[in-house]
Amino acid sequence: MITFLELLVNGISVGAVYALIALGFVIIFKATEVVNFAHASLLLVGGFVIARLHPLIGFWAALLLGIAGAAVVGALIEFLIIRRANVISHSVLAIVTIGVDIVLTTELTRQIGTDVLALGDPWRDRVLHLGGVSIAETRIVALAVAAVLISAFLLAFKYTNWGIAMRATAEDTETAALMGVRRGRISMGAWAVAGALAAVAALFLCVFPTPGLDRSTTFAAMKAFPAAILGGLDSTTGALAGGLIIGVTEAMMSGYQNDLVFLGRGIGDVAPFLVMIVVLLIRPAGLFGTRELARV
Amino acid sequence: MGIPRTPVRRIAVLALLALAVTACASEKATGGSGGAAPSAVGGDGVKTGPGVTADKITIGLMTDLTGPYASFGKSLTQAQQLYFEQTNAAGGVCGRQLEALVRDHGYDVQKAVAAYTEISPKVVALAHVVGSPMVNAVKQRIEADDMLTIPQAWATGLLGSKPIQVTGTTYDIDMINGVDFLTKEKGIKSGDKIGHLYFEGDYGESALNGSKYAAEKLGLKLVEQKIKATDQDMSAQVAAFKAEGVKAILVSVGPRQTASLVGVSLAKGMDVPFVGSNSAYSPQLLPTPAGPALLKDFYYITAGTPISADQPAMKKLAADYAAKYPDAAIDSGVSAGYSAAAIVVDALKKACEGKDLTRAAVVAAHRGQSAWGAEFGTVMDFTTFDKPASLLSYVAKPDKDALGGAVIFKDAATSDLAKTYQVPVG
Amino acid sequence: MSKKVILSCVVLVVAAVAIPFYLEGFWLQAGLFAMSAAIGAIGLNLLTGATGQLSMGHAFFLAVGAYAYVYFAAEPEGGTHALGGLGLPTPVAALFAVLTAGVAGGVFSPIAGRLKGAYLGIATLALIFVGQHVLFNAEPVTGGYNGRAVPPMELFGFVFADSPELVVAQVPFGSLERLWFLGLAVLTCAALFARGVLRGRPGRAMNTIRDHEIAAGVMGVPVARYRAGVFVLSSMYGGLAGVLIALVFQRTVPDYFGLLLSLDYLAMIIIGGLGSVAGAVIGAFFISLLPQLLSRYSDALPLVAEPGSGGVSPAEASRILYGAAVVVIVLFLPGGLLGLARRLRLAVTRRLAPVHATRKTPLSPSSTPSPDTRN
Repeated sequence: MITFLELLVNGISVGAVYALIALGFVIIFKATEVVNFAHASLLLVGGFVIARLHPLIGFWAALLLGIAGAAVVGALIEFLIIRRANVISHSVLAIVTIGVDIVLTTELTRQIGTDVLALGDPWRDRVLHLGGVSIAETRIVALAVAAVLISAFLLAFKYTNWGIAMRATAEDTETAALMGVRRGRISMGAWAVAGALAAVAALFLCVFPTPGLDRSTTFAAMKAFPAAILGGLDSTTGALAGGLIIGVTEAMMSGYQNDLVFLGRGIGDVAPFLVMIVVLLIRPAGLFGTRELARV
Repeated sequence: MGIPRTPVRRIAVLALLALAVTACASEKATGGSGGAAPSAVGGDGVKTGPGVTADKITIGLMTDLTGPYASFGKSLTQAQQLYFEQTNAAGGVCGRQLEALVRDHGYDVQKAVAAYTEISPKVVALAHVVGSPMVNAVKQRIEADDMLTIPQAWATGLLGSKPIQVTGTTYDIDMINGVDFLTKEKGIKSGDKIGHLYFEGDYGESALNGSKYAAEKLGLKLVEQKIKATDQDMSAQVAAFKAEGVKAILVSVGPRQTASLVGVSLAKGMDVPFVGSNSAYSPQLLPTPAGPALLKDFYYITAGTPISADQPAMKKLAADYAAKYPDAAIDSGVSAGYSAAAIVVDALKKACEGKDLTRAAVVAAHRGQSAWGAEFGTVMDFTTFDKPASLLSYVAKPDKDALGGAVIFKDAATSDLAKTYQVPVG
Repeated sequence: MSKKVILSCVVLVVAAVAIPFYLEGFWLQAGLFAMSAAIGAIGLNLLTGATGQLSMGHAFFLAVGAYAYVYFAAEPEGGTHALGGLGLPTPVAALFAVLTAGVAGGVFSPIAGRLKGAYLGIATLALIFVGQHVLFNAEPVTGGYNGRAVPPMELFGFVFADSPELVVAQVPFGSLERLWFLGLAVLTCAALFARGVLRGRPGRAMNTIRDHEIAAGVMGVPVARYRAGVFVLSSMYGGLAGVLIALVFQRTVPDYFGLLLSLDYLAMIIIGGLGSVAGAVIGAFFISLLPQLLSRYSDALPLVAEPGSGGVSPAEASRILYGAAVVVIVLFLPGGLLGLARRLRLAVTRRLAPVHATRKTPLSPSSTPSPDTRN
């Protein structure tokens, strides 16, 4: 039972981090209808800035700069590339983001080299014991931060002008533009926000239980793809649900690997994708995604 | 002009013309002198083959300078270049200078296959190939070419091939010696449970063979956890080990996963000894937050002598390497690469004694040595190729201040278990 | 067909036939990689370029083709690592392998047929991860992490391997030289077939689905059937590419068929030109040959450092270059390298024969590359 609780808490806290990444995806998708495969590199940008600056200016300042840096890179990608690409199909834009991702990731991994960079966080490897369950403090912070950020965005979408403008754009770009919503500003803002969220996620992906930022950090970002799809690409609630489902599935499947040997060992990594396929078979637009209805 | 009008015929005629021209103009038109490896006898009476000219011997290095093993690959490459330079300064081999031909495959199978095709006609041997997937991908050709190859991977799947020489022990032998170490010095006894965290793939699964065997013989219960190289966070695995109540954990994963596993275990109050394969540790981890945990009760098993060892050959290598590459970090790749280069050069020297530097002769000369490498710490037997060259492994322990980030904890030894173990070949 | 087209065909054929007589093994192999990539890219271009269905799982179908070929063609092996095999004649095995890839695509079609755009793209991502899991774990079929040796192709008693020795016009013909011609033949057939599909009724239907799915449905195109059908066809192309790459590698290893391979294929069709056969082929050659060229001539290029000397290594340079190429081409060269070539040709003909060109251009509007008429 203790094991189960420990795995569950772990899964939820990792899931919260996936949810942050997935939320970035969803925001970009809502504003520009682009699936951003360059998200992994935004993550790397944020983590890299934090890792390189924290010995110089302290952790909190480095964190702020990391978030700002990733936001700026996100905004630049939108401003320099996405806005200017004149293509008929959004899948082409998705492939463009793959190109961006390749360039950024290659250069950043070259910069990181073979080092494992510590992020200098204040939580270090402390662990909290609640009854028999022990959980890393970083994970609790991650859960709290993710919860705050995600609810803040849910509220912002509902009540702020920015949120309304964004939803209007997502609903019907042209009508929104006619109503005076500045589409460029909306989509650039979305990319910047996604970048900032990625930097926060990078922080929690690179601190204890994992040794630090290195070239393989981007792989963790892959898990956010099934999370975003599972919840529905245009749903913020979906991003949260998807992240949590993926996190818990992964933790459970790895933790109970010994009882699931018939599926082949190492099923924990594949499980998120299997869950995604099953969900998509039943609900092609994800759990909370809006079904595309066309009236002819 | 008498060229027929219709396009089809014109194409045919031109193609034939091209063929005709080919026959006289192509450098490849050797007439196929009885096989893919033409040999000749030079002025000094030495029979030569690919990679050997009258004054030069070319040796290939297929390394990883841009992929996940970049730091290891860089150390290997530089150490081998150092060895070749020193050999050249001492007069070379067979009156010829050694030259390294380096190709970076970035841990990508296709690039490795391409690199092998490119350099194989030009080299006499491969002084190191990083990564067993890469060696596996070109295994057939290595055998067909009779190319003496030193893989920098220690999976059992690499045994059983005449030209491929795995140095020292294989991962399974290391793990058997490791379990033996746990029972003898860490108080693990029959009936206890021990965990094994390992990578998917031949590295982890070779190691698992060893731990399975040792656990069965010693009456231990093995708890397996398999992960992928992309996994970073070992919390779930630690929870599973904890639930099973393991008394020690074997580690056959990458350095990052090791750091996460050891750190999480200690933080969660699971204070057990950890024993890793030689690829599970890297000194780069010591400055990270996981450093203190690694220094506590983590050991790794290796057949290659750590460079901090109190041996004249290692001391000289450390000094020479630091003199040539003052900025380079020193890790296990330095000594591993250096001794692998020595294996190849010694094979060349022996082949030279027989006045035959063709690849087949180099492999034959290499396979004639039954006790090689006393100066590098452990003695290896190259005469058989379906068994590891050695059953001796060191127990090493991370150390912040030591050169290469590790010191010898227990001198090279072989357990009785390892002697009775049958290595699965192929 | 104009005289120029025939002439360029002749030049191409002669060059292709003559190459194995001159170039060393390294180039032949690079060429074979490119041919295999071209076949796979044609398939992906049918799906993504012509029909607008994003697929990130193409590497999976290559894996199915490669492993199915090995399984069908190999004799079963006993021993500690028992490997299954059916020992079929190799051409039959190759045919079955392609069909198996098609079946794999068909099995996925309940998903492929229902999902759209981004959803499909990420769903196909699952194929890669699940596929590699199977490759590593289904040892009796795949050989696990060790991979399996690939039996050489044997056509009417002619073996595509290094032995028995064969000398043509004084040039020793090893496996690469022999496979070169097989690759050429297969690529040509694959290209011609795809061209037929694209130029005919199905091609128009596919483009309509890409441009406006609902309109296509209204016009009577059976959208779901077409989408599933194209998915299967593209999988079969992937399988064929897999068989060829397996023959070139002589060994299948699971690590190869990963996400990066899929991304390479997407980059190929973007760089070459979406929706056309020639574009896929150009892109495939570009992506396959770029890293080889850079690493081969790294010492002669500025900005690119020797491996291990600390600067931008050839492998990194080629990745950055091709990532950037994808972006630049979408931004500035809609239609890819193929579109660029067409535009250049148009500009040259205009300049050389202004009178002729001005008379001719309005008659053939299709020679101006636009995103909608790319085939």
